[in-house]
Amino acid sequence: MQSNLPDTPLANPTAPRWWLWIVDRIAAIPGRAWAVMLILLVMPLVANDFFLFQIFGWSFILGIVALSLMFLAGYGGMVSLIQMSVAGLAGYMVALFGESGTAISLGLPWWFVIPLAIAIATLFGSLVGLLAVRTEGIYTIMITLAMASAFYYFTRQNYTIFNGYTGFNLVLPPALFGVDWRQPVAFYYLTLVVAGLCHLLVTYVSRAPFGLALQGVRDNPRRMAALGFNVTAHRVAAYAFASVLASIGGILLVWQNAQIAPGTAGIHATFDILIIAVIGGLSRPSGPFLGAFLFVLLATFAPDVLRAIGASGERYKMLIGAIFLIVVFVSPDGLLGLWERWKARMVRDDMMRGGGGVDR
Amino acid sequence: MSEFARKHPVWTGLIVLAVLFAIWAIFAPWPAGFEDIFGRKKVFLNALFSGITLGALYFLVASGFTLIFGLMRNVNLAHGSLYLLGGYLGYEFAEWTGLWLLSFLVVFVVMGCVGIAMQYLVFRRLEGQDLRQTLVTIGISVVAADIMLWIWGGQSYQVLSPDWLSGPMQLPLVTGYNREGALVYLKYPKVRLAILLAAIAIGIGIWLALNRTRVGMVIRAGVDDRDILGAMGVPIGPVFLGVFAFGAGLAGMAGIVGGTFQSIAPGEDTRFLMASLVVVIVGGMGSVQGAAIGALLIGLAEQLGSVYMPTYAVVLTFLIMAAVLAFRPQGLMGRRG
Amino acid sequence: MSETLSDQTAGATSGTASANALELTGVSKLFGALAALSEIDLAIKPGERRAVLGSNGAGKTTLFNCITGDFLPSSGRIRMFGEDVTRFPAQERIRRGLRRTYQISLLFNGLTVRDNVYLACRGVSRGRYSFLRPRADDSLMHASEELIAAVHLTDLIDTPVAVLAYGQQRQLEIALALAGAPRLILFDEPAAGLSPTERRELVEILTGLPGHIGYVIIEHDMDVALRVAERVTMMHNGRIFKEGLPEEIENDPEVQALYLGDGHE
Repeated sequence: MQSNLPDTPLANPTAPRWWLWIVDRIAAIPGRAWAVMLILLVMPLVANDFFLFQIFGWSFILGIVALSLMFLAGYGGMVSLIQMSVAGLAGYMVALFGESGTAISLGLPWWFVIPLAIAIATLFGSLVGLLAVRTEGIYTIMITLAMASAFYYFTRQNYTIFNGYTGFNLVLPPALFGVDWRQPVAFYYLTLVVAGLCHLLVTYVSRAPFGLALQGVRDNPRRMAALGFNVTAHRVAAYAFASVLASIGGILLVWQNAQIAPGTAGIHATFDILIIAVIGGLSRPSGPFLGAFLFVLLATFAPDVLRAIGASGERYKMLIGAIFLIVVFVSPDGLLGLWERWKARMVRDDMMRGGGGVDR
Repeated sequence: MSEFARKHPVWTGLIVLAVLFAIWAIFAPWPAGFEDIFGRKKVFLNALFSGITLGALYFLVASGFTLIFGLMRNVNLAHGSLYLLGGYLGYEFAEWTGLWLLSFLVVFVVMGCVGIAMQYLVFRRLEGQDLRQTLVTIGISVVAADIMLWIWGGQSYQVLSPDWLSGPMQLPLVTGYNREGALVYLKYPKVRLAILLAAIAIGIGIWLALNRTRVGMVIRAGVDDRDILGAMGVPIGPVFLGVFAFGAGLAGMAGIVGGTFQSIAPGEDTRFLMASLVVVIVGGMGSVQGAAIGALLIGLAEQLGSVYMPTYAVVLTFLIMAAVLAFRPQGLMGRRG
Repeated sequence: MSETLSDQTAGATSGTASANALELTGVSKLFGALAALSEIDLAIKPGERRAVLGSNGAGKTTLFNCITGDFLPSSGRIRMFGEDVTRFPAQERIRRGLRRTYQISLLFNGLTVRDNVYLACRGVSRGRYSFLRPRADDSLMHASEELIAAVHLTDLIDTPVAVLAYGQQRQLEIALALAGAPRLILFDEPAAGLSPTERRELVEILTGLPGHIGYVIIEHDMDVALRVAERVTMMHNGRIFKEGLPEEIENDPEVQALYLGDGHE
């Protein structure tokens, strides 16, 4: 039984309000989250560079993009497949306006390029949202998927902005504070902190008026209008917010790969994001990160495992697809839902739960 | 139609003018000044015909997709996989027996069975859960693409058309004058014309089946209002099975057509899935006439676009879709709700 | 307040220059060839409490849907507090003080009781898009808690709505309509499905509303309707059939014939 009201702190006239606020927030973090945070913080002590950069870094990035989908689908009831394209566009914009190994890059300073890239990608995501919210339910998937594929084919054909098939290479993060942010440990902490902030932000917003109203729109759009909300505007605003998250993920992704090409935001990448979010669970912000971690582990190690058992290592996509199918069949709310149901059975909680899921 | 003419005299006039201009542009030889601006007429006619033929192919794929969607509210994102599998199977059968025409029948039956299996084993269990059904189809398409890559590898295959369909034929359409001043007529591959005629025949067949038979009426009623079917006491399961089998069979046949017209290779599944999506969004979900109009529009946009604005052909398709979504979200022939 | 007293106040204000809370002139609504409403003229004074009676299919809920903006009327004008709102979207009418409850509860099943009411309070205030969580001393949060107390749901404040009992959902439905600063509330069969005890509570809640809040109530239960209304409008086949004081309507032989003949629910 959680309350969105923190317990009123003991009145202390000397402590500033913002301090009390922070103390309350931190006190509200459950023990399990502390444990996860601690493990992630000390991870560089035990994990090797490959794990830090390739497994964890990539998981955090994919998790952020999938988180933007989770926000729209879980809280807004809109399964948008445009998120990877938004991320890709942000990555492209960083490459185009910043520095890269390609002649058409403009080489502007990073403090200008990053906000610009986020702004452009957010505008794009919001425009797609504007078109997509005119229809409802299952149509959202079709329309956003069609838009995502149009974006993919466009990046392949266009050379003036997207540099066609080749895309951009040597796109590197700025050497802020003299640190090479592509060093495994530095990159690990960079992606960890950004992912953590995005997770916090989504968790926070989900209980703020904007997020609550979005959940209201998901549950009952007609009643929301009858309460004075502009349902369409609210949905588009949700797309805009999710686009900001996705474009942050996209920028980190282009830095990690040091290059970007049409395939980065191709149709398979679009499906991957959906698969990640669904496997992890669409009802909680931690779901996408769990899904991303599993996805990255599978994508990285499945070939080896398959070879070890005598199968062809190339069949790892089949394995991911099969696992996805099983999760969809067994648990509509992903692995988190599975875990929660198991926990509920253990506790023998006799109170019927509200049940988080995507089939509402 | 007359009601439209009465309400919008200006629009009607413009449309009539555009149609007249199009007829002139297609049938009459172009004056020199005109060719300076728009290029040679032969190029235009070729693009036009390729567009129409491509539209016919898109229609074959998308009509099954739209029927399945309209009746079952099931966005079958594995539809492209059905297309690709049909193409591979048709190629294998035609290579093995040399019977090109028969391969259509065989593939239709085999893919129909695949469709029945999908509906019976998968979708029936998730009845009424639109999102989960869609997710399952994505999973199936990922697995199917990998299995097909495993079996047929990464190379592309071309289904060879039989001798009686190979080579060009002359159409009564003027492309210009030759040096002696005699009229030159358009030569167009026979096999493409055959595809076009077959697609038109199938389209008319579907239309007749939907409008003139009892089963067709049941399906149309179901597309309009699914609850009505239950109320009418129609056994809904067999109807769903039948429509799914038909849509899958059609997609499979389209695979052979695509393999003859172009080629089949990994990645064609997503390409045709996307084409079906766009066609159905433009035409209106659940409407076969809409699929025909949408397919024609998209096919023409792609081919004419690739000739006259090569780097932005995709943009043209995208703009058509965005315009439809902005002004008529239910699609050109779609219905609200 | 006693019924006779409120009758007098209603009579007294009718002469003043202030505009009607709600005024329908010649409102019709066609569904294809079927006229669900035809030529409805209706005027509700500020603070007035009106019951709308009529058999099923008389057009009562359609009337509500036209007033809230869920449907656009086929013809006629709707004015609220002197302003023509015929073409306004639903949310704009809500922001002018209109509220409604639904015959079938339309609640947010994934949210708690508190969040449901809080959303209702937010909907008519600023900060609908706020990214900041409410503080402990948030005025809207206080308002929500008071509303929840007013409909006797304080014990269930953090319970998800999906697990509430039917009667509790109906009470919550009323709390949502009371949020913000309502001036005119449309109650669509609030007593349907309630137990006799719950009905008594409902009548208490309705008669206990502040005097400046007017309402229109659709109710099949004559006992409830006549106890909470100052005036009664009878509808039949999409038309207004009779209008008058509760006792006049109750004793009207035509109304009795119609009402009892069509089957009293």
